[in-house]
Amino acid sequence: MEKKRLYLELENCIGCRSCLAACTQCGGHEERNRNYVYDVNPLVNRQTMPLMCLHCVNPACARSCPAQAIQIHETGAVLSALVEKCIGCQNCTIACPYGIPKFDEEQNLMYKCDLCIDRTKDGIPPMCASVCPSNTLQWLSDSEIEAKQKQFNLDNGKWVTSLPYLEGETNVKVNLPGILQGTTKLF
Amino acid sequence: MQAEISTKQTATHSKPSGNAFASKFAKSMFITVSVIVFLSFIATRQFTHVDLNLYGYMVGTIVFIGGFFYRFIAWGERPPTKIFIKKGIKLLFRKSTAKTSVDHLATYNFIWNRGIYRWTQHIMMGWGVILSCMVTFPLVFGWMYFTMPENGFYTVVFMGINLMTVKADGILAFFFYNALNFSAVMVITGVSMVFYRRLKNMQARAEQKFMYDFLPLYLLLFISITGLSLTFQNVVLHGWGQPAMSLIHQWGVIITLIYLPFGKLAHIPFRPLSVFARNYREHYMEQSKKECKVCGTSFVSTEQSQDVVNVLGVNNMEFETKEGFHLAELCLPCRRKYRIAQFSGFPTHEVKVKEANQNAKG
Repeated sequence: MEKKRLYLELENCIGCRSCLAACTQCGGHEERNRNYVYDVNPLVNRQTMPLMCLHCVNPACARSCPAQAIQIHETGAVLSALVEKCIGCQNCTIACPYGIPKFDEEQNLMYKCDLCIDRTKDGIPPMCASVCPSNTLQWLSDSEIEAKQKQFNLDNGKWVTSLPYLEGETNVKVNLPGILQGTTKLF
Repeated sequence: MQAEISTKQTATHSKPSGNAFASKFAKSMFITVSVIVFLSFIATRQFTHVDLNLYGYMVGTIVFIGGFFYRFIAWGERPPTKIFIKKGIKLLFRKSTAKTSVDHLATYNFIWNRGIYRWTQHIMMGWGVILSCMVTFPLVFGWMYFTMPENGFYTVVFMGINLMTVKADGILAFFFYNALNFSAVMVITGVSMVFYRRLKNMQARAEQKFMYDFLPLYLLLFISITGLSLTFQNVVLHGWGQPAMSLIHQWGVIITLIYLPFGKLAHIPFRPLSVFARNYREHYMEQSKKECKVCGTSFVSTEQSQDVVNVLGVNNMEFETKEGFHLAELCLPCRRKYRIAQFSGFPTHEVKVKEANQNAKG
């Protein structure tokens, strides 16, 4: 089975927040969502974009954790804090360049997107990608992502985000809106 | 970079003056073993009351201490851990330390908030293990033993002091003899609850691994069952097979002790760091608060913000933005909006609108 990864096509987002609701329904998420949907320019228009954990190859959250509570799964997913190890210092929330980890004061525990590891370790797409009605969130293999690149016929180095749009290499691939890629995408 | 690090390491190693020990490990081992031997010397009235039946545990404990320091010192060398240990010790005498310690280390309030089932299983296992440690180790090192100067009455000797005299068939003595049986029942109850959860809970099933999640449970179960079996053999079978079982039990305990610092059970000795972390957050929040570079909300202490920036720096991560701030200096909503701004090209973080509700009630 070819390894698949989460792939974001940001400009498709219609702001339905299905991904948030679906996240709460994942078996291990204890009915709390770990992702975000933001209005891009809230006072002017209705454009929204999802913000997910991008599962950095070299995750700042894990690097800053004094308890080694944030483990990296063999699939590359940066897991939520191990409940027995997390000491509740919240270093990870400060270290994450994208502001992803959430913290539960009552439980003294950090929780974050684990890419629905109970599903994705068996090749089942994560909840958010399963429900997204606008194909903003997709679960694709690298060859499919490459095919997308060809389809949009882009060769300007801005296909999927990297520096300066992100802080480092990530396992989740993000397709920037056409406007930033200097092109109009056809659907 | 590599060269720089190696010169630094040589420099620390070749520091001859004022260092009687080759390493932190050697020093810690020497001090700990010396303290144990010294305490035993006093407690056993100059080694005249050592229970040599338990000497296997003694050797096992020394090996455990070796593993513990090896693991703990390596762990303490991680840049973020080092900060918390150093500052945590400094803040140990805060007024709130006692309350936080009881909350985190004795009553596990935070686990209660994760669910009553999980709290119950944890209390059962945690206190079962603590209780049995409090009985076993004093006996092993002779810190506590029983004498019978007068027929029918046991004198409990603790640290060489005659602590109390109890009737040999009295209620108090009954609890002394059976403390390990009670703790075994507690541990077995807890472990069974954990097994049930690990079979049913989908998240647990997804993430659990034999070596990490199940092995410690089997070890605890093994110790508890063989321990209970010792009592059973003594009481019901008139001691049949007791010597063999006692060795099997001892073997189980020693294996668990050696394993303890390296697997899931390592969270037991590491847990006090959560008290350090709470003190650290409370203390430095009172000192000075960090204001978000974009919206001005204070979201963390200045100290922690700076510590995290430094730790990331050690890891070669500099999240400096072109606007001239470090990403760790933004509050969480602003940091997320800042990323959206990078994605869209529109400065979302500069629009003075509170972030929309991000908590779905699925």
